[in-house]
Amino acid sequence: MRPEFPLEEGTRAQPPAPWRAFAVPLAFLAPAIFFLGVWLLYPTVRTAIRSLYNDRGDTFVGIDNYRRLFNEDVIFTAIKNNFLWVLIVPALVTSIGLLFAVLTERVRWAVAFKIAVFMPLAISLFAVGVIWRLMYQQSPERGAINAAIVAVQGVFSEQGAFTQAQPSSDQLEGRSPRAIVLAEPVQPGDTALLGLTGVRASEIPEGTPDAARPEPLQGGISGVVWRDFSPGGGTPGEVESGETALPGVTIELRSADTGRTVSRTTSGDDGTFAFEDVDPGSYRVAVGPTTFAAPFRGFNWLGESLITPAIMFAYIWVTAGFAMVIIAAGLAAIPRDVMEAARTDGASEWQVFRRVTVPLLAPVLTVVFVTQIIGVLKVFDLVLAIAPGSARDNATLLAFEMWRKAFSGQLQFGLGSAIATFLLLLFIPFLIANIRRFRTEAR
Amino acid sequence: MAEVALERARHEPVVIEEGWAPKIVRFAGKLPVHLILALIGLFWLVPTAGLFVTSILAPADQSAGGWWNFAIKPHAWTFENYRSMFDNEGITHALVVTAQITLGATILPILVASLAAYALAWIEFPGRDWAFLIVIALLLVPIQMALIPMFSLYNTSGLFDTIPGLILFHSAFALPFAIFLLRNFFAGIPRDLMEAARIDGASELRLFFKVILPLGLPAIASLAIFQVLFVWNDLLIGLVLTQNNQPIAPHLAAQLRQFGSNLNVLAPASFFSAVIPLTIFAAFQRYFVQGLLAGSVK
Amino acid sequence: MRKHRWYLLFALVLVLSAVAAGCGGDDEEGGADTETGGGEAVSGSINVLAVWTGAEGEAFQAVLDGFTEQNAGVNVSYQGAQDPGQVLSTAVEGGNPPDIAALPSPGLMRDFADRGALQPIDFARDAIADNFAESWLDLGTVDGTLYGMFFKGANKSTVWYNVRAFEDAGVEPPEDWEGFLENASTLQSSGVPAYSVGASDGWTLTDWFENVYLRMAGPEKYDQLTNHEIPWTDQSVKDALTELAKVFSDTQNVAGGTSGALQTDFPTSVTQVFADPPKAAQVYEGDFVGGVITAETNAEPQTDFNVYDFPQINDSGPMVVGGGDVVVMFKDSPAARALIQYLATPEAAEIWAERGGFSSPNRNVDDGVYPDDITRQTATALAQAEVFRFDLSDLTPSAFGGDAMFSILQDWFRNPNDVDGAAQKLEDAAARAYG
Repeated sequence: MRPEFPLEEGTRAQPPAPWRAFAVPLAFLAPAIFFLGVWLLYPTVRTAIRSLYNDRGDTFVGIDNYRRLFNEDVIFTAIKNNFLWVLIVPALVTSIGLLFAVLTERVRWAVAFKIAVFMPLAISLFAVGVIWRLMYQQSPERGAINAAIVAVQGVFSEQGAFTQAQPSSDQLEGRSPRAIVLAEPVQPGDTALLGLTGVRASEIPEGTPDAARPEPLQGGISGVVWRDFSPGGGTPGEVESGETALPGVTIELRSADTGRTVSRTTSGDDGTFAFEDVDPGSYRVAVGPTTFAAPFRGFNWLGESLITPAIMFAYIWVTAGFAMVIIAAGLAAIPRDVMEAARTDGASEWQVFRRVTVPLLAPVLTVVFVTQIIGVLKVFDLVLAIAPGSARDNATLLAFEMWRKAFSGQLQFGLGSAIATFLLLLFIPFLIANIRRFRTEAR
Repeated sequence: MAEVALERARHEPVVIEEGWAPKIVRFAGKLPVHLILALIGLFWLVPTAGLFVTSILAPADQSAGGWWNFAIKPHAWTFENYRSMFDNEGITHALVVTAQITLGATILPILVASLAAYALAWIEFPGRDWAFLIVIALLLVPIQMALIPMFSLYNTSGLFDTIPGLILFHSAFALPFAIFLLRNFFAGIPRDLMEAARIDGASELRLFFKVILPLGLPAIASLAIFQVLFVWNDLLIGLVLTQNNQPIAPHLAAQLRQFGSNLNVLAPASFFSAVIPLTIFAAFQRYFVQGLLAGSVK
Repeated sequence: MRKHRWYLLFALVLVLSAVAAGCGGDDEEGGADTETGGGEAVSGSINVLAVWTGAEGEAFQAVLDGFTEQNAGVNVSYQGAQDPGQVLSTAVEGGNPPDIAALPSPGLMRDFADRGALQPIDFARDAIADNFAESWLDLGTVDGTLYGMFFKGANKSTVWYNVRAFEDAGVEPPEDWEGFLENASTLQSSGVPAYSVGASDGWTLTDWFENVYLRMAGPEKYDQLTNHEIPWTDQSVKDALTELAKVFSDTQNVAGGTSGALQTDFPTSVTQVFADPPKAAQVYEGDFVGGVITAETNAEPQTDFNVYDFPQINDSGPMVVGGGDVVVMFKDSPAARALIQYLATPEAAEIWAERGGFSSPNRNVDDGVYPDDITRQTATALAQAEVFRFDLSDLTPSAFGGDAMFSILQDWFRNPNDVDGAAQKLEDAAARAYG
């Protein structure tokens, strides 16, 4: 696998003087030793020790801090989330990278595509967080994702006239968004007064007159819908001067016995409505639920339940380009003739992909996969930038929690050290694998 | 593995010339693929475009409605946010600090790492393999592991909130990867070249400067790009080790609490802070990809 | 590591000798101290570090300029830091703290006092007692020693409302909690949700709770709860949560509903009340809301926005929950003492008060200097309050009051009827944080 870089190289022409055998390499290595010693080795040992002391650092507490990792809800959530991330994200990133690499393999303008997908990798994860926080805003007026979802949804559903309206008194039963029904049954010749509140003056069309009590209708049922509110509240259930009519409200006439809707109308510009030539009997008048149909407002991406998938997606958006480029390079290295041979043997493209390409790519896919596991364990910036304060506890990851406990004003150094050490422990398997790989390659 | 890929990336795929007709036929056959790719590519660009459009809207427009409503309304665009960004002393200071750190924390670790990498690749000494194993092990030490002790050490030594402090920290954490990459690259330099120079009686230092560094330039370039992006984009280290001399990302992080009402500051500054690495990425894309391929072990 | 310890030891010796020197000097300078702001010529140079940056930093610089005008021999250099706690805690470790600092919470002051990093300011006790209500003096005291003087205060018992929305609904600022709840229902009937809550910032929820708790349980219980002498599962806590749930469980009446409020940050919770059309009629928070309104909206005082005091509950009488920045002394010197004396005077506070965006806890500040009626109202309520209590969450360990309490109350905000569950979680977190 390493054609060009032999490891057994560089033997010296003449054996050096004994003191020089150390002095010269030491001179070259000294600066690195200084940096690695002071900034990596010392703090690693120090943090491991510190994790056994309390937050102030003056009392030895044994493994208490590690117990807290599992006893404190938020930290335990971070552990669970890290687990979820490791389970889901590397596999997804690798598959998407593979998909992109294969799709672009023989497309002439692949470079443009690759640049587009690759570009996020150059942007700071913090800026990525800002970008996606903007995309995820809940209000469809601000968040592009919900705007797109709502636009698609809006094609299929309609918005009611007064989405926030509620009954003004107990003469009416029910609450929006379900139907609001007049409590007392009515007979032909009666009038129905449907007073609603929770309607903004500005929601009512300009020029709508004040409501007036409707005239009874011979053999029919007449009524009025109005905004049963005047400053201070007014008397609920009574049509008073200054209370505006509500036009465009769906009114249903329901049979008092079966509850079935027998007729439907819409209130006029003056808020009145009339059902003419109604059969004798008992009826109930209702404001139909279509009046209150609120438009779908999209998903709560930044809320407690969707925040983790939302951050994962932003992360995938960043790293898919990385996976794609590595896998594409691996793909280019596969000998063409193997695939051609399979094709001539009558294998379908899928079979070639499944039986030839993927197995040959296995080492590259492993590298991408493992790199992603390591990357996922380090995610910090995205949690900070995307999750609003109220969702941080749900979005949190160990790398983030370490910072939060130790530095965001809390200075819980014992606990922070324990989280950091725990994180290091998670890396140990990869560390061993790395060393193993190096040693086998060296042999 | 990594080196194979690195090698491959240097050879562009060979394009075979052919006639028009088969090209068109093939294109039509792959139309769905083209379409899917175009859609995905577009989807990948939209979020960044959204930040940019938001950044060139007046605050009133930002809160009035979605940026997509203004994407094709050039008359609503204004660079006022950017102007006030450059008048904002906090942000300009943060940008200057970031630039200084990036410069320092790119040059220093490359220098230190190439010295060490040379020793590990070409000078024989007892325990050499062990030394390299330690470097590989250190590759995986998470930054979190160093934060608390270094925070205390920085405070007692006066490095806290200083530019040298940040440069040193970044340099140290860049070293394991830099040494790893450069050592492998240096080791690939043909032995005859080194032997010839040694027979000419060149000292190790001379060898290092006259042979290794010039030949190692491609790897050094990759490393430099990488390091520039990493340091420029860092949030965590700056957040912990600075207070008044914050680099740009930590400086902006303080604005996040008021995401809803601070977009006129946050959007242009975030976008501008992304423009620098993007430019570097665009200009040196080849080295970047190479570095990435070689670095996929990190 | 060992070297590091030596440093500390060395620093400790230095600090101790400085303390000793400071104590020694105490008696001799006692006479000079009584002459506040007077002609006693002090000299030297002192460093001041405080939370105030930006416009606030400039205002404080003007206050310091007032000091150097009187004391030409003193050179004061000021540094603003957004999070002085972090800078200071390590500057202290390193043995080079500033002479004087303003801390954002008394909890931080207590931390430093416990570490022995602060110098007592008992020399200024008389001046402070003359100018401040006793509760401020108590707040500046740790274990019987006076360490802190509150230069800047914040009144967190104010409700800001959209005047037009109130007029449309025909409601007036309420007299008490019942009136407050009635208003809310009337406002909703008029078509505008009554409450805007910036629940994305957990501290807005703690402030709500503190106001209700102080009024229902009284100041003694409030103090006990602050010190965790009674558990959070105490009936008084549950009662306050139950009362507050009357607001938060009225989700139709909260702008954006529960999930919308949880994504609303504090500034947005303010601006949306003064948007057109308003998304809510009123927002409860501290006096700093006024600054947000003027900076971020076009609303005019009195005609568009106004303020009333957080309503009393069960005839509790006027009470104020608030915050403040406390000035402490890290290094003793005649110049530092003179500056503390100076900052305790009404004249020093008036310099900033005139510039706006400032409430002084100093009760002798001439309220005529406040730039407008609204600031005057909130600042006077703060300085003259019969019962003042500091923001409880700022007095508890930061792992609790600055973190766990936020998220537990946010959780509870999602389901306000689970009072027992919330109280239990608060108690668990408090038990851990108080250790």
